Amino acid sequence: MSTIVIGLSMGMLLFLLAAGLTLIFGMLRVINFAHGSLYMLGAYLSFQMVNLTGSFWVGLAVAPMIAAIVGALMERIALRPVYDRDHVYQLLLTFGFILVLDEAVRIIWGLEYKQMYPPELFSGAIEMFGSSVPSYRLFIIGFGAAISAALFFMLDRSRYGMIIRAASGDPEMARTLGINVSLVRTGVFSFGAGLAALGGAAAGPLFPIELGMGFNIIIDSFIVVIIGGLGNIRGAVMAALLIGMTRALGYSYAPSWVDFLTFILLIGTLILRPEGLFSRKGRTA
Amino acid sequence: MNIVKSTILGAACAALIGGAGAFPAYADEPEAFKIGAVLPFSGPYGIIGKGMKQGAQLAIEMRGGKVLGKPVEVTWEDSETKPQPAVQKATRLISSGAQMIFGAASSASTAALQGITEQRKIPLLVTISADDKITRANGYHYTFRTSNTLGMEIRMAMEYTKAAGLKKIYAVGADYAVTRDGLEAYSAAAKEAGIEIIGVDFAPLGNRDYSVIIDKIAKTDADGVVLIVTGSDGVTFLKQAGQAGLGKTKTLFGPVLQDEVLAAAVGPDAVGAASGVRYHYSVDNPANKAFVEAYRAKFNEWPDSFAGEAFDGMSWFLDIVDGTGSWDREKWVTAFEGSVRENSVEGRKEMRACDHQALQVGLWGVVEKGEAPYPDLRMKITNIFQPEALFPECAE
Amino acid sequence: MNSQRLMALLVAIIISAPLLLPDGQGIGLVNAILIWSIFVIGFDLVFGVAGMLSFGHAAFFGVGAYTLSLLTMRMGWEFIPSLGAAGVVGGALALVFSYFAIRVSGLFFALLTLALSQLIYIMAGTKLRMLTGGVDGIAGVPRPDLFGIDFYDDGNYYFFLLALFILALLISGLIRISPLGQALKAIKSNEVRAEQIGFNVQRLRRSVFTISGVFAGVSGGLLASLIFYVGPQMLHWTTSGDVVIMVLLGGMGTLFGPILGVAIFEFMREWLSTQTSHWYGILGLIFIICTIGMPKGIAGLITQLWDRIMPGGKS
Repeated sequence: MSTIVIGLSMGMLLFLLAAGLTLIFGMLRVINFAHGSLYMLGAYLSFQMVNLTGSFWVGLAVAPMIAAIVGALMERIALRPVYDRDHVYQLLLTFGFILVLDEAVRIIWGLEYKQMYPPELFSGAIEMFGSSVPSYRLFIIGFGAAISAALFFMLDRSRYGMIIRAASGDPEMARTLGINVSLVRTGVFSFGAGLAALGGAAAGPLFPIELGMGFNIIIDSFIVVIIGGLGNIRGAVMAALLIGMTRALGYSYAPSWVDFLTFILLIGTLILRPEGLFSRKGRTA
Repeated sequence: MNIVKSTILGAACAALIGGAGAFPAYADEPEAFKIGAVLPFSGPYGIIGKGMKQGAQLAIEMRGGKVLGKPVEVTWEDSETKPQPAVQKATRLISSGAQMIFGAASSASTAALQGITEQRKIPLLVTISADDKITRANGYHYTFRTSNTLGMEIRMAMEYTKAAGLKKIYAVGADYAVTRDGLEAYSAAAKEAGIEIIGVDFAPLGNRDYSVIIDKIAKTDADGVVLIVTGSDGVTFLKQAGQAGLGKTKTLFGPVLQDEVLAAAVGPDAVGAASGVRYHYSVDNPANKAFVEAYRAKFNEWPDSFAGEAFDGMSWFLDIVDGTGSWDREKWVTAFEGSVRENSVEGRKEMRACDHQALQVGLWGVVEKGEAPYPDLRMKITNIFQPEALFPECAE
Repeated sequence: MNSQRLMALLVAIIISAPLLLPDGQGIGLVNAILIWSIFVIGFDLVFGVAGMLSFGHAAFFGVGAYTLSLLTMRMGWEFIPSLGAAGVVGGALALVFSYFAIRVSGLFFALLTLALSQLIYIMAGTKLRMLTGGVDGIAGVPRPDLFGIDFYDDGNYYFFLLALFILALLISGLIRISPLGQALKAIKSNEVRAEQIGFNVQRLRRSVFTISGVFAGVSGGLLASLIFYVGPQMLHWTTSGDVVIMVLLGGMGTLFGPILGVAIFEFMREWLSTQTSHWYGILGLIFIICTIGMPKGIAGLITQLWDRIMPGGKS
């Protein structure tokens, strides 16, 4: 039983890590390779905020905002000039940003590992099903669920979601309807960058904050996005939970095969249903 | 935009073509003792390069900056923690007259460097890489390691298990060859000592989530958990174990689990974790006191294990070179083989002739809360194991 | 003389630097440039000519390196047959990848090749460690033993690499002007029309992907022998990323451009890294600026400059 709770928390954490990537991917058709770097930036910023204010919550709130500004700048300066070119160029530009962002973090915060702790409220462990589950894990489950619900509501039900979908589906038509498409694009990229940083801030208490942390999660995030289907928030949640559960079970029975299992899941998806296991488009098309 | 890009690329091209001529010329008559240092300065391992550089710098400074009557010249190169740049740069350093190579940090880069230094007959001084294969019997003629081997650290973990009276052990290792071999050796020794291994898990290197494994361990009646992981993997484990309260009921320890740099990354959850220690500034002997004092005066920080090991190795090697009074590198190799250093910063060290591995005591410590002027979390040395227990006979 | 020839001349100057400079200076750098050039010459057939962005070429490169190392060190093979085998294995793996990956296009192709090569990386580091030496790799990879020449001397090895480099350049040049190259260009510019004309798009793509795998495999084998070492780092996806950067800096789709890209990349690694430890960040900035401002890379810049200097001299 406790394995299921942990699997759930691993899944929700994966979703938090991947949400920004899937949003940008889905709305702009840009694979943001710099996602891992923005995630790392979020963790460092959050660490900095905790150091300044002593509050985990301030870090969780402010780090994404700063990263969103960085994201907006990235989009304005680098991506905007190349939207009319092949999508490949956007991917390559974000690849260049990995090098720049990583270097910037190194210059600002140096080489030492940084650390962060769960907030007071979630610092203990709770006895459940015969094991002690860290309460921060339970917080991650709740927080992930809340974020996914908010995203889902925003994209599928709200006016903003409609505008974003219109702008990404048919930019020309959206323009004639008076939508400022380039502003929407900046907004989406910036929001996605903020989400990446939110993932970093949430993961801070669980992992060491160090320069290599972005490289570790970028592949995980790709996997979630691909299995869930491009830009499909609901799919990403399902995929993250599927992977979380697979891993939790893998760790229980054959830990050294965990990475391997994840990749089998990924490659199977790409071969059998490149549009994603949880994509609705595949069925209607 | 056109002007910007033209200028940048024009400059790059010009530099490319012009720069090829800027390589330093080879000198027949050495007017300086040239050391080629290939260390990681960029990337996540940059912190290792920084400590090693500071330690080696101090070693040179404290001898007046001279060897064989000539000034010592060090060229610092960035290995990026990758084998290709490491070898490429070592090659260039050697062709521009380096008398020895110092580095690298990761065992993979060091193994790659060994190819080139053997080929060019240039001594390679290793002060951090721990893979046992780097020094093996009748192996590399020009490689000398003054620091610990992983094998010795694993034996320390076994000695500690016995000394702490642990009876039931759960083992967790990163999934790669060296750690698997290490765990095998540990299990064999455990069997002999009547210690039961009640579970073994190998997690992928760079593993991100140990919570399931931690939960599994918590449900066993193990009294100790040996962790054969290092760097950020160890940090991740201890952080997550702390949140689940694993350390309250079980002793967490490992051969290379913690030092002060890593303990700072874990935070208070590191307290109580026990680990092998490469070098520590608290070791009580005159040589170490002098080094620590000079280091703090120069860099205003406590020397980490990378700095201490680099200082120790570099001082030793340069003393040997000076002692031969010769520029013949073969003479240095011969003189280094079997040399004994009574007053190293870690106590007595002996360079074994058969495999070029320094025999030395093993330090073992536990993380505890520190007070100024020490860091918030410091290693307290609890055990010092003698070399006889740590190094097997030099065998083929 | 046109801009193509100007670039050829530039390349010639760079690769012959050890002959022009006294005491064979810069030889280590040029050797590395020659080896990576063989890689990018093949990679650009896929990326520049056929328009497929692969993030999986590190796999063919690394597998080639392991093949050469294992055959020479464990099986006692001669160097040249082992190098051939490195190419064959690299190509074979590319063929296998292509069966999975060619069915999807664009971004999915990039992601699928990335995923497949990352799988090989993980396997090499863990499950195949008996073969690969795991994370620590295999040290002591040999160099060729031919005609009694000491190839362990970098100056002599240079000629060996130069010969292979010229061979690779010739083959790639021939492929570009061959019917295969022309067909691939047609597919790149308009896939649907190419299909309607009667090209078997899948098969053509698979062929060129396999050919580039051979180039990558040979180049990986050579790098292992240059640095006497092979490790899983060569299989990591960032190696694929480095190659993409090299090709894009130099100019995709041109014969000589990518080689200039390699030269700049390797030169920065050698020179800039001694000036500053922030060189990777500077490389990133340059890469971003070039990608935005100069999609055709240095090759495009040279062509542009040439046309401006010699407005009538277009040939």
